[in-house]
Amino acid sequence: MSLLLPGMHVAGGTPLHRLDPRVKMGASLLLMVLPFVAPSLPSNLLLAGFVVALAILSAVPLMALVRTLRVVVWTGIFMFVFRLFTTPGTPLLTVGGISVTLQGLGAGAVQIYRLCLLVVVSSLLTYTTSPAQLAHGVEAVLEPLARLGLPVREFAMVLTIALRFVPTLFEEIEKIVKAQEARGALIRTGPLWKRVPGWVPVFVPLFVSAFRRAEDLATAMEARGFRSAHQRTHLYRLHLTRHDLAASLLILALGAVILFVEWRMG
Amino acid sequence: MLISVEGLGYTYAPSTPLARTALRGVDLEIRQGERVGILGPTGSGKSTLAQLIAGLLRPTSGHVLLDGVAAHARTADARLRRLKVGMAFQYPEHQIFEQTVPREVAFGPRNLGLNDAEVEARVAWALDIVGLDPVEMADRVPLTLSGGEMRRLALAGILAMRPPVLILDEPTANLDPRGRQELLTRVLTWQAETELTLIVISHNLDDLARLAERVVLLVAGQVAADGPAREVLSDRPLLEDASFDVPPPVALLQALRQSGWAVATNRLLAEEAATEIAQVWSSTGGMV
Ligand SMILES: Nc1ncnc2c1ncn2[C@@H]1O[C@H](COP(=O)(O)OP(=O)(O)OP(=O)(O)O)[C@@H](O)[C@H]1O
Ligand SMILES: [Mg+2]
Repeated sequence: MSLLLPGMHVAGGTPLHRLDPRVKMGASLLLMVLPFVAPSLPSNLLLAGFVVALAILSAVPLMALVRTLRVVVWTGIFMFVFRLFTTPGTPLLTVGGISVTLQGLGAGAVQIYRLCLLVVVSSLLTYTTSPAQLAHGVEAVLEPLARLGLPVREFAMVLTIALRFVPTLFEEIEKIVKAQEARGALIRTGPLWKRVPGWVPVFVPLFVSAFRRAEDLATAMEARGFRSAHQRTHLYRLHLTRHDLAASLLILALGAVILFVEWRMG
Repeated sequence: MLISVEGLGYTYAPSTPLARTALRGVDLEIRQGERVGILGPTGSGKSTLAQLIAGLLRPTSGHVLLDGVAAHARTADARLRRLKVGMAFQYPEHQIFEQTVPREVAFGPRNLGLNDAEVEARVAWALDIVGLDPVEMADRVPLTLSGGEMRRLALAGILAMRPPVLILDEPTANLDPRGRQELLTRVLTWQAETELTLIVISHNLDDLARLAERVVLLVAGQVAADGPAREVLSDRPLLEDASFDVPPPVALLQALRQSGWAVATNRLLAEEAATEIAQVWSSTGGMV
């Protein structure tokens, strides 16, 4: 694997790693929603600055973080182009009856910024929170729904397993691509019309191994006495510390300041 | 084809917290027709080196040159050279995708652009070399094969491309002793017939003793020794440092020598050791 992917976890001991997963999830949600509520430039400079500060605090090399954005390059380009052509306003350039507008340029840039923020914030969340912690947090947050008879614990378990296997799947794709390229398959090189069918020999072994892995995992879980309906207790309990409290206050303060700025900007 | 490895280094996930250096400063030159064994403890970088030679990974530093052309380059010329390096992976299930065994084997030859008759002939030939019965295998679904059969199938898929350079990553894992012997013998026969360059990665010293004339010992991503198989595989301090034991025939000869017998200790195979002992025995009339 030549890059750090969103969804990977990087163990560490930074203050961000130590925060309660519930606090981190709440904060991430807030950071992702804020740019939609607060569109003005000053708010977003503040927000982006805060996210950069978090990234520095997380001890993940910034370049590695920037490179994770490669994952959404195509989505980003698509969204940008879509906005560029569909936003009404002052035309800058007209090609065949469709105009690129000044407003479109701005709207496209805003889309890209939001997308980047989304990826960076969620990456920071998973880098600094182990899958087990994350699932534990989800379970704790959804706990009230369990009283209504919803299978919250099972959901958390499924989530843990899914998160755990995301990086594994990417590694597996990499290995299979190499194995097929060694047999002359055109996958990463060659003309596009040859590359697309080239992925068939990649996906078949990938799915086969994913199913096999799932089956092995299910067997291993049953062999160790896992029963979905059982009440299980946690090895580690979540409890909020003073740091968690401080972090929560900080993020709420950020939200309040941004909303205040928005209100003043009118 | 001349394989030149110069100052080769490789780091997985470079400049991330998960970075892991698998190889550093490796220099090697492998000429056409050589039989080279690569030995090293788990995680020493053997598979990584093999994939770099096959042009499947891009070096972090240094070069791998196939007849002077960078192995990983994205040019058509480099791709043609890469196709001359056949690589059988350590985990065969990573490449099996077709619905029948013959079609699986045919994938490589078809990518070479060969005609149907030639492909069919090569499929039959390759299945035979790895010891799978072409008739019995005609309609078998690859995914229903046993671990050992899959390994043979994956190897057949590479052999059918008739590469002038063949890299085998742990070729005998999952095979029973008889199957292992047969496979090694057939690969060796083919090697001798075609002047094939054979690069074998193994933990099994006996495999290497049989297949390799030269052994490269990798420890922690660096070349710890590179020399004739008889020298490297009978060097007890060197092997023990890399957490290997000398092969049993060498251990026996070394023990005999310690108790006063003037035997040579660098005979790697049981047959060779037996001949050596018999010779010394008859020349001394059975007296120390
Ligand atoms: N895809 C990968 N991502 C990250 N690190 C890897 C990857 N593949 C191998 N490594 C690391 O690189 C080092 C060398 O691995 P490699 O597979 O080359 O060893 P090996 O000598 O073939 O071992 P084995 O005898 O177990 O097959 C190891 O430390 C391994 O953890
Ligand atoms: Mg290996």
